[in-house]
Amino acid sequence: MVHITIQKRPYNEAVVTQRKFFKKTARGKVIKIIRERYLRDDIYCGIIGCRLCTNGTTAVLPTSGDTTHKDFPCGHFILPDTNIFLTQMDLFESNQFAFPVILLQTVMEEVRHRSLPLYNRLKALVKSDDKQVWVFYNEFRCETAIIRDQDETPNDRNDRSIREGAKWYNSHIPLARPPKGQKPPKVPQVVLLTEDAGNRGKALSANIPCMSIRQYVEGTRNPAQLLDLLASAGSEEIEPTKATGARAVLYAEHLPSTALLAGVNAGQLHQGHFNANSYNYLEGTVPVPAFAKPVLLVGRENMNRAVHGDIVAVEIFPESEWKSPGDEVVDAESTLKNDDVESGDEIDENDTLVQARESRAIRKSMQALAEKQPTGRVVGIVKRNWRAYVCHIDASSLTSSSTSSLALQTIFASPVSRLLPRIRIRTRQAPSLVGQKILVAPDRWDRTSRYPDGHFVRALGKVESKEAEQESLLLEFDVPYRPFGKAILDCLPAEGDAWIVPPKSSGGPVWRDREDLRELIVCSIDPPGCQDIDDALHARRLPNGNIEAGVHIADVSHFVHPDTPMDTEAASRGTTVYLADKRVDMLPSLLGTNLCSLRAGVERLAFSVIWELTEDANIVNVRFTKSVISSKAALEYSEAQMRLDDSSLTDPLTSSIRLLNSLAKKLKAKRMAAGALDLASPEVRINLASPESSDPLVAPSNSPNVATSSNSKDKKNGETIGVMQKALLATNSLVEEFMLLANISVAMRINEAFSQTAVLRRHVAPPKTNFEKLQDMLMKRKGFTLDVSSSGALAASLDRCVDPEMPAFNTLVRIMATRCMTSAEYFCAGSVSRDTFGHYGLASPIYTHFTSPIRRYADVLAHRQLAAAIAHTPLHPSFHSKVHIERIMDVLNRRHRMAQMAGRASVEFYVGLALRERGEVLAKTGNVGGVAEEAFVVRTFRNGLGVFVFELGLEGLVMFKQDVRFDAENYTVTLPSQTAGREVTIALFDKVKVRIDVEKDKNTQRGRVKMTLVSPVDSSGL
Amino acid sequence: MTTALSKVEISYIRSSLLSAPPLRADERSPEDFRPIAVETGVAPLANGSARVSIGESRTGRETEAEGAAGGTEVVAAVKLEVDGVGEDKEGGKVICNVSCSPAAYPHLSSPALDELQSDLTSVLGSVLSHPSLCPKNLVIVPGQKAWSLRLDTIIFADAGNVLDCLMMACRAALVDTRVPSTRSVEYRAPGKRNEVPDDIMDVDEGRNGPSSLLETREPSRVVDFELTDYWDEGEVLEVRDSWPVCVTLNMLPTMHFLDATSQEESAIPLRLHAMFAFPGGKPTLHGMRMAGAGTSDLSQIRVLLKNAEKYARNMWTGLEAKLAEEEGRRSIKAREKFYGRRRR
Repeated sequence: MVHITIQKRPYNEAVVTQRKFFKKTARGKVIKIIRERYLRDDIYCGIIGCRLCTNGTTAVLPTSGDTTHKDFPCGHFILPDTNIFLTQMDLFESNQFAFPVILLQTVMEEVRHRSLPLYNRLKALVKSDDKQVWVFYNEFRCETAIIRDQDETPNDRNDRSIREGAKWYNSHIPLARPPKGQKPPKVPQVVLLTEDAGNRGKALSANIPCMSIRQYVEGTRNPAQLLDLLASAGSEEIEPTKATGARAVLYAEHLPSTALLAGVNAGQLHQGHFNANSYNYLEGTVPVPAFAKPVLLVGRENMNRAVHGDIVAVEIFPESEWKSPGDEVVDAESTLKNDDVESGDEIDENDTLVQARESRAIRKSMQALAEKQPTGRVVGIVKRNWRAYVCHIDASSLTSSSTSSLALQTIFASPVSRLLPRIRIRTRQAPSLVGQKILVAPDRWDRTSRYPDGHFVRALGKVESKEAEQESLLLEFDVPYRPFGKAILDCLPAEGDAWIVPPKSSGGPVWRDREDLRELIVCSIDPPGCQDIDDALHARRLPNGNIEAGVHIADVSHFVHPDTPMDTEAASRGTTVYLADKRVDMLPSLLGTNLCSLRAGVERLAFSVIWELTEDANIVNVRFTKSVISSKAALEYSEAQMRLDDSSLTDPLTSSIRLLNSLAKKLKAKRMAAGALDLASPEVRINLASPESSDPLVAPSNSPNVATSSNSKDKKNGETIGVMQKALLATNSLVEEFMLLANISVAMRINEAFSQTAVLRRHVAPPKTNFEKLQDMLMKRKGFTLDVSSSGALAASLDRCVDPEMPAFNTLVRIMATRCMTSAEYFCAGSVSRDTFGHYGLASPIYTHFTSPIRRYADVLAHRQLAAAIAHTPLHPSFHSKVHIERIMDVLNRRHRMAQMAGRASVEFYVGLALRERGEVLAKTGNVGGVAEEAFVVRTFRNGLGVFVFELGLEGLVMFKQDVRFDAENYTVTLPSQTAGREVTIALFDKVKVRIDVEKDKNTQRGRVKMTLVSPVDSSGL
Repeated sequence: MTTALSKVEISYIRSSLLSAPPLRADERSPEDFRPIAVETGVAPLANGSARVSIGESRTGRETEAEGAAGGTEVVAAVKLEVDGVGEDKEGGKVICNVSCSPAAYPHLSSPALDELQSDLTSVLGSVLSHPSLCPKNLVIVPGQKAWSLRLDTIIFADAGNVLDCLMMACRAALVDTRVPSTRSVEYRAPGKRNEVPDDIMDVDEGRNGPSSLLETREPSRVVDFELTDYWDEGEVLEVRDSWPVCVTLNMLPTMHFLDATSQEESAIPLRLHAMFAFPGGKPTLHGMRMAGAGTSDLSQIRVLLKNAEKYARNMWTGLEAKLAEEEGRRSIKAREKFYGRRRR
């Protein structure tokens, strides 16, 4: 019989068995919380083969510890204190740091108490396969549990608990290894690592091996690389910089978080995300709910060390001190060019110079007449949202550039993103990092320093090498790109790519409640080279004269079940990310490109939406069913277009497409009549073709919107990267219309079935104020009025914005109008009121995403909800929780945004490469003019023009060094012209010709597009 | 105690008390108390708590079913709650409540029980909720937030002398109470500081406190608070040694006796309740009450009060010693016991 011991103790031993603490709730109440504790004697030490702890099977710590450290020849384990994890997480995450770690429960809990993000990283560390980390529940083992002494602070108590743990290990290990024969056994030691000198002292006096992290790392085999990973906080106390004493204070002190909270609650402070201005590094904004316009922060002191993305608390100045945003481009690089790193700070005249220059920049840009907006200053940081940033090394900040130099140097790392300040790091590898993309994590930003201090995390590779650029993009936009782990791959069907739809006669579970639609003439229409085909269509005449149309979507939810590792991963990835040269999948490719992909001639599982439509495309009836289909053809847009246009073809497939097309046209007409917007965004396609291959561009002759290859001529000159605008064919619109119809039908159905938790998508109508600027521009420059009272009115007035001399003008206005709008978002039906469900752009009262479950997680959710709504598969319990759905929606919205930005950035990178290549080709052929393109002026500044190059989908800046006459009211800039001998005025929306160069910053190797005016004025001299 | 005593019984009790030497059913002398048991920290979720019993405790004994044989038993618990404060007041209050377990008074109807409860509540309230006793450290943010101290007592059994028992339990619970330590958090709006350059303000008086009449600084805008030490039980109440004990003198003309049992209580005409505290050894009378049908004159009362003070001082000293011992038992001793067992 099993012997049961009751570990619970009577309440009069409360001090041992209970832990009491107080907690303040969000509503300001204080509650007393009691945690009971049961002590046991069978908690395993985690060392493989320990003789005393017999019941452990999952031990991870090697028997003899790590023997490579020079101070511990007999082997050792490390036992870090909480402060180590709070500051040096990067060190532990580095794959060069492979020492066995004992992680005490006390430390875990303290980390969680101090910082949740760090705690999550710590948890990931414990789980990762390549680390030897053992969590020891010291508070539950009777030998290591301690009781808080009278008047002992929690901190002291935890320190004592950690020492107690270390002491126990050091006595436990020898006990487990009794001497054999004469030779004393080699007993590994457990080393306590802590940055707290007091704790170290106490540990040493108790005979516990103990050292600081720096001391420890210096004794490892290759200290140089690991030392770089040490956060700068550690280095400060050991090697104080010479100027420490006399540093001038640059910034006001941040208020403590509790004071901020109090201020925010009292309405005296406002909390929001800090957005840096990419044009002017001395300006930022914080959108807060209290004001319609975001709060403006002008100047370094008022931004007070806020970094883009931080949640800050701002104080609003009295209204008399409100300002308007600057109208000048202030570039950090040129203003701060000569800033010295080592002193960086600030006593020399260099500093006063910088200050003078900055204040001039601010003053100058403040003269504008534009409307004033709330202005304030940052008084404290509610939450830093710092992560590791992709940076370049500023070569000019190196003191010694010989590649053999291993001296510790302080250098600047410039983040790729213009929204971030330079970060000062200390490294021994500086010379070898020049010309590389590196990852740098900021650690802190002192009041005395103009720049944040950080540390080097790892190198990504050579600048402009595809791998480095790719990875840096993914990191910069926080796209999870690790290969799928084993647990996830285990969720795939065991048959692998041999999986097929079982024969219907087998009567297996696959066929349960599944319609056999294999006989239908179904086809898919996709962009060229598409591998993850998630939708297919069919249409046929019904005997009653109506038309049956069907949309068949890959049945991903058949393979991805809720609450599995694959599902969790897909939910956290949220979407497949498409870069110009890479696809980062949301689901393992076996599913995405094979089992779920609706390839031609293969039986596949699908989720079908089947309508009965009248000739006028009115819906008579709609039904949803899981099905099995067999696609008859996987067409590209152009192939489908060819079938449409070739009247000689009369096969069933072609007539089905024609039927679909006629319906699509009517659907579109209806949608437009309802006020849907035809928006535009600068979309270009990157063709990464090898020079030998034929023209990769597929541009059928008779498409309505002919794609223009801007470089078909140049291509012959050996160019490898093609940039072209995306082609739009009638068949694109055909597919799009049916997908919209399917999404709307599904949205209505799931909202009916799950009015609280349905996963929907909406596009909130933009506030009218968003359009004010554009309306003013159009009115003043072109005399067009923009009616923004409704989406229909906007669509109509956009249609009227036509300049017969500039056919592209309309598209340009559409692009600019699109930028004034809010972005669409996923939401949970129960979280917002019913009347805000509408999709503004599509002019649909309700909408969701259903049609791309292979690449979007929201669609997977919609599939599950629809399957439950038609009583096919019951819904997983978690999907009945609104809070749960809301949490997923937040992740999806963020991932979606990030994926879009990553995709755009990737295109931009290739446009840059293409430009350089083209420039080189032109230079070879003796053309000194470089690449010149037509562009539209989209913004006017006091010292420059914002231009948009249509052909390349590229937005750039033309800067003038000289002052020019700037009329902010009328959006014009007047320039002197040498050639014409008189002044030329350039206005907004004017078509100009610009010369585009890609120049590399000498110091940071950061490529940047530089534009200069060619006509009407050559601005290269200005 | 279930039924009223008959006249014969009353006269029997009276005459034995008046005989020389006085005789009591349980062989006590008039000035003797039944054994008193005090235990603190009985309610882990409360901020302070105590159980006090006079006489043999009924609950927890195997003879529970026997009924009348038990003693008087009371549990008191203190709960602190964050409360808003009106503009004019400093904040902090003590709210008392007494509930009587119906099992303690099986003979009482429910309205009668309510009456008894409210009667005892008002006695307790008039003494303990008095503003002079309100501990200063109940204030969290002056004029904004304060703890309201809820002192709830339950009478589990009544075998006479319930008020003494009640007051003792209250005192024990209040002494046991720890106020979570808080720190007020303020946000001071950007005052006029920036407008007046510092060097002008920097006159000496300006620095050394608000001596200048021209001091324009606004009162500190403290609006919220935080808990300083999330583990600590906190600090003791400020007026710890001012919470009184109560001594009831049961008077039968020409003599008085202490700690009456239920029967004795129903046999005597007059009782005097006197609440004394001895902060720093100095006696302070916090309340006095006469109850019963009999009468007494002022000269008598003066003597009685003198006696009451003497008895109260005895009780006070005993209780102090016990409370100190309890505190030790729950922290240091338990800790030693724990480490001792590990060493074994």
